[in-house]
Amino acid sequence: MNSISRRTMLVGAAGLFAAPGLSRAQTVKPRLTVISQWSTGSDGAAITALGKKFEERGGTWEHSPVPGFTTEMMNKLRAQIMAGDPPACSQLKGPEIAAWSKIAATVNLDALVAAAGYEKVVAPDLARLHKPGGKWISLPLQIYSTNMLFLSKRAVDKANADKIPVTWAEFNALAEKMKAAGVTYPIANGGTRPDDGQKFEAALAGISPAAYRTGIMNLDEKALKAPEVKAAFAQVRKIADWMDPNTAAQHYSINLQRFVAGDMGMMIQGGWAQGVLLNAGFKLTDFIIAPGPSDNGKPVFLLNADAFIFWQRKEPDLQAGQTLMAQLVMDPAIQTMYSQITGSIPVRTDVDLSAGGWSDGQRRTAAALKEAVAANQAVLSLAHNMAQENGMTAAMIDVITEYVKNKSITPEQAVARLSDAVEGAR
Amino acid sequence: MSEAVPAAARGSPPAALDLLRRLPEFLTIWVPLLLSAGHLVSFALWTIWVSFTPSTLVPVSGWTGMRNYTAVMATRNWQIAFDNLLVFGCGFVLLSLLTGLLLAILLDQRIRGENVLRSIFLYPMAVSFVVTGTVWSWLLNPGIGIQKLVNGLGWTSFRFDWLIDRDMAIWTVVIAAVWQSSGFAMALFLAGLRSVDADLIKAAQIDGAGPIRMYRRVILPTLWPITVTVVVIQLQFAITTFDLVRALTGGGPGIATQLPALVVYDFMFQRGLLARGAAAAVLMLLILLAVLLPYAAWRYVQHRQAAHA
Amino acid sequence: MREGTFAPGRILVYLVVWLIAAAYLVPFAVVVLNSLRTAEEIAQTSMIGWPKQLAWNNYATAWADFCVAQTCAGIRPYMLNSALVTIPATVVSTLLGSIAGYAVSLWRFRGDRWIYGIVTLGIFLPQQMRLLPWTIVLRDIGLTNTLTGLVLIHTIQGLSFTVLFCRNYYIAIPQELIRAARIDGAGFYRIFWRIVLPLSPPILIVTVIWQFTHIWNEFLYGVTFTTGQQQPVTAALIALSAAVADIPQHGVQSAAVIIAALPTLLVYLLGGKYFVRGLTAGAVK
Repeated sequence: MNSISRRTMLVGAAGLFAAPGLSRAQTVKPRLTVISQWSTGSDGAAITALGKKFEERGGTWEHSPVPGFTTEMMNKLRAQIMAGDPPACSQLKGPEIAAWSKIAATVNLDALVAAAGYEKVVAPDLARLHKPGGKWISLPLQIYSTNMLFLSKRAVDKANADKIPVTWAEFNALAEKMKAAGVTYPIANGGTRPDDGQKFEAALAGISPAAYRTGIMNLDEKALKAPEVKAAFAQVRKIADWMDPNTAAQHYSINLQRFVAGDMGMMIQGGWAQGVLLNAGFKLTDFIIAPGPSDNGKPVFLLNADAFIFWQRKEPDLQAGQTLMAQLVMDPAIQTMYSQITGSIPVRTDVDLSAGGWSDGQRRTAAALKEAVAANQAVLSLAHNMAQENGMTAAMIDVITEYVKNKSITPEQAVARLSDAVEGAR
Repeated sequence: MSEAVPAAARGSPPAALDLLRRLPEFLTIWVPLLLSAGHLVSFALWTIWVSFTPSTLVPVSGWTGMRNYTAVMATRNWQIAFDNLLVFGCGFVLLSLLTGLLLAILLDQRIRGENVLRSIFLYPMAVSFVVTGTVWSWLLNPGIGIQKLVNGLGWTSFRFDWLIDRDMAIWTVVIAAVWQSSGFAMALFLAGLRSVDADLIKAAQIDGAGPIRMYRRVILPTLWPITVTVVVIQLQFAITTFDLVRALTGGGPGIATQLPALVVYDFMFQRGLLARGAAAAVLMLLILLAVLLPYAAWRYVQHRQAAHA
Repeated sequence: MREGTFAPGRILVYLVVWLIAAAYLVPFAVVVLNSLRTAEEIAQTSMIGWPKQLAWNNYATAWADFCVAQTCAGIRPYMLNSALVTIPATVVSTLLGSIAGYAVSLWRFRGDRWIYGIVTLGIFLPQQMRLLPWTIVLRDIGLTNTLTGLVLIHTIQGLSFTVLFCRNYYIAIPQELIRAARIDGAGFYRIFWRIVLPLSPPILIVTVIWQFTHIWNEFLYGVTFTTGQQQPVTAALIALSAAVADIPQHGVQSAAVIIAALPTLLVYLLGGKYFVRGLTAGAVK
């Protein structure tokens, strides 16, 4: 043997083992297991596009959509958590984030959020939801407004209306005008539980965002019995009376054709309805979008935001995947891409929507959000599980949907029932 | 009762060897049965345990006494669901029975095309509950379904809007459910009709009995045991029905067509209130026992009577 | 009465039965018609109606094209998954059920009435009560998110029905047959193979039809205990209707429903004759 001593060989051998390790730490391929409910339509397209971006940055994307609505997704999440195998990332939103974070370990995203300066560009009420216990554990991705006012162009023309209603009084006046002008049903809403919830929250938040905040978001006992709540129920009764009774518990999409034709006049819907109308083959010229009615003249924005929560995993490739995903979700370019596909607006308040690719409806919604945040009138939607956990929401929606379907319940009774429901579900 | 070992087969192998030889048979009999019974009993016990804990999203330990039960029974959802179960249970079972019997009698008349007709009445069973509920929700909707059709044909005052009527909506569930499962009742009854003793019929004919008397005196009494089976299967359907109602009415209008199975799912999974959902499930089982125990007792009495006859 | 002696009565019978049959066919007709309409047409007219043009491509889209998130392979892969779960579970639960039914009704053993009662009471236990316990069981035996786990669940749960059906059928077989065979020295398996099984085809077909239908159409467990590409066809059907920012794709969904329902429909069409026969001759008590 020549001058290569045994020791050198051992060191050399150790080097051989160490080197791959080092390079492994530097180039571990990010991988992400994701579950969500977004399997089809524009939601499915958007998350697929996000996945492609993830893979462009060198990651492996493993998205498992759970068909159905949020309950099915949460069932799957629960089953995975109970099996000790949570996905690295999952869809979740609202106060459920805080509730679920208690049953499984989540990842602390504070460092990543600080590095991206994300907290500065997120509405404070929204940010609060994603940092239960003071640390960021989930990231909101897109925002919808649930109380946009959709008006049928033809119905507006029939009624010879000169301006878009801003307050509830103007809204009611326009509805009466439409009815007198031959619009059979001034309201084209549907009858599903979220839809009924939307009617109520739009009414209450439009009458008084402060009352909405203390009553619905904070569940203050006195606020739940305040006169504003009774007035909101009365407004809901008016809306229900202007609807086609045959709608029953159906999705509003069955009314779209009559809405566009001018046989139905107005809809209080989430911003996503624009996408639904366009996908059904109708045109932007068939309808007008405006912010929902607000009695004090300044826009009220009822927030519905989707988010991703990150569950703790030991595997280094999943951890790298989580880092990459978090960076993508906070990236303004990604948020632009996502929202342009689904018709929502980005969470970041610093995205400029005057560029191309955005619809007027989206621009109006984003402007409304900015104004509402400035006036402290951006509140969390009850109907879409942003204001309360699912159990409380369901108990309150039970009362609201029964009220909408049963004309013999008076607003006073509804207020009493709502309080009882909240007490029973606490 | 242990079986009497035939004398011829009784040799003189020692008991242990005999047991070993019979082991495969023992396992074949007991393993599947124990797996089935075991999982049923343990799952029921687990649910009972959860109903006494403060579990919300996931099961946790703790003791909450009867709080979950009182909370569930105080909700309008449960009260309406319980009433609906009585209406739906009785209405569906009765209607399904009568429809099945009627169809069986009609098909028993040796008519042409019996095979085709039998397939037509049976095929709804092949359809999933979700599809049944969805399609019937379109058909029963006054604005797009049957009412619209009849109105369009000229009878403009015809109304069939049970789907949106809080008091009648539960009957729409009955209609869809009868469509789905009366075929099974028909098949059972047809089998029973075809197995009626021919001699009895001949005797009755000789006595000059007309067709109606024939049915009442001879045929329907023979169908009694089958009727019991039909009732049991339809009862099972009525109690566990879930997908059908969800797809047809979603529990609505409002909460007018809530049923216990829906309340259980709603509380357990949609509302993240496991313990309350479990309490509702246990209540469901108690209702079930209230129906089945009298039947079991009656059968036991019958069995003892037959044994001592 | 049986031979149909009076003509006006027979005409009435034909009329009534075919009217009812037409009523029974209406839901099927609605789905078939919708499967030939486009989603836009349905949204712009009504849920029930004649197709303006025949959108045959709905079937092609449903079979091979429509996208569930990033996978655009239509319903085809999910049909295979459903088959991989339904066929084994049906076969095993039917076989085990017939052996157990025979053991309980003909062979007899200590405690048979009790265990039979508990097993068949299981038909009343609702699915929701079993979802979480199965999650725990599958986790403990390491079968989470596998098709095998799903087969296990359906087999064990199916036993409640299969034992019920088979026992009620075998109880009509005369005990003398069995007693004689035992005196001749035949054991448990020989009697099953030689005597009971040859008499079984009618009830086996009933059981297979029942199990196949219920497992194929099952949704809750299929979605919760599988993921992604492994899901059964019921999951794919729900995926078609649950988009928030889209109109429900009723046209393609109806086509997918028809395709997904073909196996069960076929099973009923082919086995329907035996269904009735299988319930004959003192089948049920």
